[in-house]
Formats: sequence, C-alpha cells, structure tokens
Amino acid sequence: MVNLLLSHSWKRFTRSISFSKDTATLIFTGILGLMMFVYALALGLTLDIIIIKGLKQNNAIHFLNSLFLYYLGFEFIMRYMMQNLPVLDVQPYLHLPMKKSKIVHFLLVRSAVHLLNLLPLILFLPFALKVIAPQHSLSTALVWAVTVWLCSLTIHYLVVLFKKALDDNIFGILTLLAIIVLLGASDYYGWFRLSDISASAFDSFVTTRALIIIPLTLLATAYLLCFRFFRAAMYPEEISYRKTNASGTTQDFSFLKSFGLIGEMINVEMKLILRNKRPKNILYLSAFFLLYGLIFYTNDKYMEGLPGILLFVGIFITGIFMINYGQLLFSWQGGHYDFTLTRPVSMREYVESKYWLLSAVTIICFILSTPYLYFGWKILFVHLAMMLFNMGINVFVILNLAMWDPKKVDLQKGVTFNYEGVGLAQWIMSIPILLGPYIFYLPFSFADQPELGIAAVGLAGVIGIIFRSKLIDLTTRRLMARKYKIAAGFRKD
Amino acid sequence: MIAIENLRKEYKTQVVVDVDQLSIGAGESFGLVGNNGAGKTTLFRMILDLIRPTSGTVTINGKNVQMNDEWKFYVGSYLDENFLIQYLTPEEYFKFVGKLHGYSDADLAGFLAKFEELFHGEIIGNKKFIGDLSKGNLKKVGIAAAFIGNPQVVILDEPFENLDPTSQIRLKELLKREKSQRNLTYLISSHDLNHVTEICERIVILEKGKVIKDLKGSANALVELEEYFKA
Repeated sequence: MVNLLLSHSWKRFTRSISFSKDTATLIFTGILGLMMFVYALALGLTLDIIIIKGLKQNNAIHFLNSLFLYYLGFEFIMRYMMQNLPVLDVQPYLHLPMKKSKIVHFLLVRSAVHLLNLLPLILFLPFALKVIAPQHSLSTALVWAVTVWLCSLTIHYLVVLFKKALDDNIFGILTLLAIIVLLGASDYYGWFRLSDISASAFDSFVTTRALIIIPLTLLATAYLLCFRFFRAAMYPEEISYRKTNASGTTQDFSFLKSFGLIGEMINVEMKLILRNKRPKNILYLSAFFLLYGLIFYTNDKYMEGLPGILLFVGIFITGIFMINYGQLLFSWQGGHYDFTLTRPVSMREYVESKYWLLSAVTIICFILSTPYLYFGWKILFVHLAMMLFNMGINVFVILNLAMWDPKKVDLQKGVTFNYEGVGLAQWIMSIPILLGPYIFYLPFSFADQPELGIAAVGLAGVIGIIFRSKLIDLTTRRLMARKYKIAAGFRKD
Repeated sequence: MIAIENLRKEYKTQVVVDVDQLSIGAGESFGLVGNNGAGKTTLFRMILDLIRPTSGTVTINGKNVQMNDEWKFYVGSYLDENFLIQYLTPEEYFKFVGKLHGYSDADLAGFLAKFEELFHGEIIGNKKFIGDLSKGNLKKVGIAAAFIGNPQVVILDEPFENLDPTSQIRLKELLKREKSQRNLTYLISSHDLNHVTEICERIVILEKGKVIKDLKGSANALVELEEYFKA
C-alpha cells in the first residue's frame, strides 16, 4: 500500500509540468543542490582542521559540542524555509478505502525523504571518524554521529508541526531568528551561556553511549505528536490553508477612486496582494528589505566617497517590491486573464495600472527610506536617483520581460523557495535591472566623477519618465501581440 | 450581429473548429450543442477573441473582434472560472465590473435586485471570497456579471451545469424575461437538450468542429436533436 503511494508521488514528480517543461528552473535548482552538497561535504571533511588550526581550539570535540544547540537552531530555520509537508497531495486518497493512519504514516515518512536529512551525516560523520574514533572508539564515534542525526530528524518533525501551527507565517520565522541572535549575543557577552548547556549535553553522549536512548525517545515523541496531530486534522478543509471567511478583510482603498478606471484596477490588485499569501509575503519581505541599507551604511568601508556599491543598495531599497512582485507581474492575475480580455478594459489601461502600481510602491519605499539621511545626504541622493531610474527604466524592463511566457501561480503558497511560475525570463530579469544603472554610472566613475555618475543615472530615469506615455504604448503593443499565447498558457494547468 | 467566416482552429494536425459561414442575427437566441470535444468552447473563445484563429474571422456588428475593444462594451460573457476574480467577494466583483461599465452604486443595487431570486441569499452579504464559493454559486456570479452593462449579446457556456433544479428553472425564467424586455442576442451552449430547446429558437449541432445541423425555428427541435444524439 505505502509502496503504491510512494510510486504515485514519484510519478507526480516526474510528470509534473515543471519537470518536463521548465528545464531552466530544474537545471538551476539542480546546480544549487549539487553546490550545496559539495560545500557541505567539503566542510564536513575539513571540520577538524578548521576547529583545531583555524580557531585554535585544543579540545575540538568539546568545542563542537558547545555549538550544537545553535546548529540545531540554524537547522530549524533552514528547514522551515526549505521543506514542505505536501498535505494536500493526499486529498485524492481520503475517500478511498484505506486506513487514515496509513495515509498519515505515508505522509510523515515521505517527508523525511529529503536532502536536508542527510546534511548532519555529511557534516559530522567525517569528524566523528577522524577525531572521536581515535580518541575514544569507533562505536562511540558512531553513537555520537547518530545522536546528532536523530536530533536533526527530531527538528524535522518539530518544524512540520511548527509550520502547521503558524500557518507558514513569515513573522514566526523572523521572531525565531531574533531569539537565536539574542541567545548568541548573551552567550558572547557571558550573560547566559547556552553553549555550556550544549557542551555538557553532547559531551555526555561521548562518555555514556547508552544515552542514545534520549534522542531516540525525542524523535519518537516528535513523530508521534505529528502523527496524532495530522490524523485528527486529516480533513481537506482543515489542512488547506485558505481561510473561508472574508469578514474583516473587506477593506477598500477609496482614495483610488479619484483615479478613474486605472485607480479601480489598482484597487483590485492591492486586494490581490493583501489577501493572498504569496504576494503578501513579498510585501512583508520588501518592508524588511528597507533595513538592507544598515548593513552597508554602518560600514565605513562602503561610505568613503561614492562607491558604486551604493547604487546596488539603492536599487534594492527603492525597488525590491518592484523586482520581486514584477517578476510574476502577469502571473498573479493569471487566474482571471480571460476576464481582463473580455471586459471593456483597454490593454493600455491595463499596462498603465501596472506601471502606476509599481511606481507608487517605489515612491513609497523612497519616502520610507528617508531616515537614512542620518548617514549623510549622499545616501538620499543615491536613493533618489535609483527611485527615478526604477520608475523610468527598470519598470519597463520588468513589464516587457514579465510577458515572456508567464505561468499561472498558486497565490496561496508561501514565498520561500517557491519557484512556481518562475521560468527563464524570471531568472535573467534581474541581470538588466541590476546592471542597467552601471551603464550610466561607470563612465563617470572612471573619470573620477562619481557624483555626475549618480546624476546621470537619475537623469536616465527622468528621461524614461518623460517618455513614459510612448514607452507604455510600445509595451501595450507587445502585450497585444502576445495576448493569445499568454492566455493559452494560463488556461492550461 | 455576429458573423463567422471560414473560421478554423488547428492544433498541430488536429482541426478543432472549422466553420465556413455562420451568422447570428440581432435578437436571435442561438443554442450550440455537441458532444465533448466538438469545439463549442473553442468556438466561443474565438468569438470572444481569447484564442487566435488559425484562419478566418469573427465580426461583431461588422467589426473584426481582433485588435478591437469596442465589442467588449456590449458583449457580456461567462465561459469558466477564469472569468472570475477569486480573491474578491461577489459584491466587490460586481462593483468592479459595474465600474467598467459606468454603474453608480444605485445602478448596481437596481441591477442586482433582478438576480435576488437566482442568488437565493447565498451570494450577497455572505462575506465569502469568490474562490470559496461552490461551483453552482460560482456559475451564478459569472452569469449575473455577464449581464452587467446591458449587453446586446450574452454568451454563456453550459449555464445550467452545476445548478440545482430550482436554480435551473429560475435561470431559465430570468433568461426569458431579460430577452422579452429588450432586443438581446443569446449564444448558449448546453448538454441539456430540454433547456436549450426551451430557450433557443435556433440550435446548431457541432461535431468535430463542423456545423452538422442548423435548426431554425423548428417546432420539434428536441425530437430531431434526440434522434441525432441517439446515433
């Protein structure tokens, strides 16, 4: 029975559209995965050298043990972002004569088939064999490695539960991140040493092998908790994350009414953003990205003169929403593209509404970034230039590249590591967006006139804004020519 | 009103629609029947300029529907859920469509009153997003929206599918009532021969994309249709 279910999930994987058609994404994620594997293996093989030679620790085992609780915390966050329990996949089986508990077991066991669950072994088994085995014994080394692995698997099931409880909310993970940073800081300043607890706990696994029963019990408990939770909640309406009640969310942006039809269309699109998980998470992430400047502006290295890196920061601060949301600009409304085509909305108005939505958010980001004035006028100057460039040039790059084979996306899925709807166009889109400003900046910068370079970037933006109407016309014409193809792409599922 | 000339749609080697000549006059109720895969929806999509024909043209009021937005003001349509905006409540959706046709709030309230019976208290004021409605209720929302803006032409794909018996009867009455009040053209596809013969005076049978039969004002259309589909 479980074999059959497993073969179904294998078929699902190999037959899904992304597997056969979206080779660009597949290759990219494949390379990403392979790179991570190679890095992890290299780190695992050299861990002892790094600790003893690099960090000058004479008791490598004790040192590593003191970091384990942090490692598990880090793993928790990584798992939270990367792994998903595909609960809805079991929906077709629920009405068939199979035991519910079997379905839940299948779901939970399958979720453990994940590259991340091999990570602790790749990282720490070499260390165990190279360092612990000679000092103690081979069996001690293996027990130690297995202990770490069991803890990691426990984290896996805890994340499954945690994620369900928090409904994949992005704030949950940010809070957790903050707690870990705080613990790290208190460890560093010596207020409260989590590392001591970690060291004594994991040291004892080295001395007493029988203690392996503890992580085993923990894992069994976590699994059982998951099992009981999901068996009780195995109803489609409970496991799907869509909320059926719209009360309290029926906000309306009445100020947009004064902008006529285009205002109405933006109004609808704002509702799209605020009522659906994936675009909403992009909005939150954009707000978070406003703080991006703090990394650079607090560092004197980047603040001398007017280095080109500031442009890069400026693009992100004023344009992160434009870039992230714009990638899938047409896909967001893929579910009702036929509506747009059959209603008395001209394509030009449609394009114009997109232009203003993206531009307005860019202006808002600029205004919110004004407190960076604290780090000097030049920061504001760069932000202003980038805002203009985003509004005059980048927005058209996005509008035009986004119409290259857009695909329908599920608005309710989370944003992290979600590549649905992301094709070749989306991958290469960021290249012109990020490099564009440098075309204008670099000539002046080489001539030792970086201020003029920034001004040139801003000026290019202003020229784009002046010829906006013409550029919108051109974009509209391209969209008209592609509309059947786009509509057909959205219709096939 | 609507004229189709040499309209063909091919996918690779397969011909999905192949209509030489078909014209639908103003005020006509045009019913389209045919088994699955006959090309009904594809034909409707080409009339609504959602699919580019391989060759041929569709004109509405003498103008080609391609590269032209004018017909959208007087053609209302509902084919499938791609015509609805899932994350809006039905009220918001009606209001938005109403805005596109210049409705005031009072206009819209007057308009929706006509649908009160069909909605059966399940659409308005329920604080549900369209995406969470049942299939029958989705259909009701789509059909109602197709009537916004006093269209001269209304195109519906399988309007009776998924509706409960009461709603089917009410929808039939509504379609007849609307038509009796003004010069309205219907294009309706259906698998339900009883309903479609009751509403439409002209029935066209499509088979493998071709017009097989064109029954105009036939008194015993239902019998003829049943004869055809029995074979």
